[in-house]
Amino acid sequence: MYRTLPYLALFAATVLLQVFLFDNLSISVYLNPLIYVAFIILLPLDTPPAVLLGAGLLTGVVMDASMGTAGINTIATLPVAFLRPMLLNLLCGRENVREGGIPSVERLGRRTFIDYLLLMILMHHTVFFLLEALSWEHLLHTVIRILVSSLLTLAFVWIIARVFTVKLSVRV
Amino acid sequence: MRKLIEFIRSIYVVVLFVVLEVLAVSYYAHSSSYTQARLLARTNQVSGGLRSLFGGIRRYFLMGSENRVLLDRITQLEERLSRYEEVVASAHLDSCLQSIGESKYFYTVASVASNSINRQQNLITLNRGRNAGIQPDMSVLTPDGAMVGYVVDCTDRYAVAISVLNTSFRASGKLADSDYLGSIYWDGLDPHVVILGELSKYAEPHPGDEVVTTGFSEYFPEGVRIGWVESAELDPMRTSYTVRVRLAAEMSRLSDVIVVENRDLNEIRALQQSELIEQHTRM
Repeated sequence: MYRTLPYLALFAATVLLQVFLFDNLSISVYLNPLIYVAFIILLPLDTPPAVLLGAGLLTGVVMDASMGTAGINTIATLPVAFLRPMLLNLLCGRENVREGGIPSVERLGRRTFIDYLLLMILMHHTVFFLLEALSWEHLLHTVIRILVSSLLTLAFVWIIARVFTVKLSVRV
Repeated sequence: MRKLIEFIRSIYVVVLFVVLEVLAVSYYAHSSSYTQARLLARTNQVSGGLRSLFGGIRRYFLMGSENRVLLDRITQLEERLSRYEEVVASAHLDSCLQSIGESKYFYTVASVASNSINRQQNLITLNRGRNAGIQPDMSVLTPDGAMVGYVVDCTDRYAVAISVLNTSFRASGKLADSDYLGSIYWDGLDPHVVILGELSKYAEPHPGDEVVTTGFSEYFPEGVRIGWVESAELDPMRTSYTVRVRLAAEMSRLSDVIVVENRDLNEIRALQQSELIEQHTRM
């Protein structure tokens, strides 16, 4: 297996950061970044779909257990993991994806990479916050929570991606 | 048959996704805030130590303001104590007074290991559990006696309480100087404001009025401060008020809390569920 170790470290780092730092922020109802989704986002481009689903399930279950949310995280991470190959094919072409490598600015280009991050994070946060609110009553409130938290997550995932790829070559 | 197997192989990822998603959704659909608290109580056995460490660091920085609050409280209590001492002195004279026995409420303290205000279902983890005498259904108050939540589940060393900032939280409340009661709940919008709903239209709430708990709630002692009326509006039917209440407890800065047990709770519950009572509620 190639690069198992860096990815194990990435998984541990994102989960620990989420549980011990971002879950304790408690600054405002609107700021609830879920940065652990970075693990699914940064898996190699040519990861088989079944492995992606497995990774989504794993992160979801771990986060559910540590946040005490019975299933919301899993419900949100699974579709993100499932739709990732299609999204990547759409954004940067089937051939390009097949060559593999870690998703990053150098590999995909700044524009495509940001689009990719934003779409993945929005998808995840939309499912998560809608399920958490579980009513259409304060829809505007929920939408603001989704947008603000997504932007914050985007910033942090960007930083994590930079740190993660700084030592690794992004080509296979 | 071979065609079928090949077809299934070509779409197995979709099948896998659908199966996992359905499993997750059904688990979530069958959960309640109680199972969520249970889940958190279990994982806390692993991560509780680390959480306590972080909580400890935070508490160190809050110590100053906490100390001031406690000193204020001590002076108030000192004052009240001196009044009681007078009463005791006079009661000593006529010894025919019966002893009132054990107090109905049992008080203990705990510190907050983890707490959140930025979700819809916020839970609080306390660093004391069954070993320190904490039981489910005990109520949680700030050091100066304002409502915070009640304990839902505990392990030997930790307890998880449902915070007032949880959309599943329910308690009953009233204006301090009247007897009309309503139900206290959180609408999930502002971590400083809860709603006192279904308050009778005769209650006349004014901004600044104090809101306290009633003795009818199973969890909280009577007269625990919840907060102050911020604004009130009659509902469209003009039958009841919906009152926005500014919380007395600063939920984002909790560090030490008081945990209160209603000793009579089990007795009251057993009585309410007794055969004789049920005969009168059956239709």
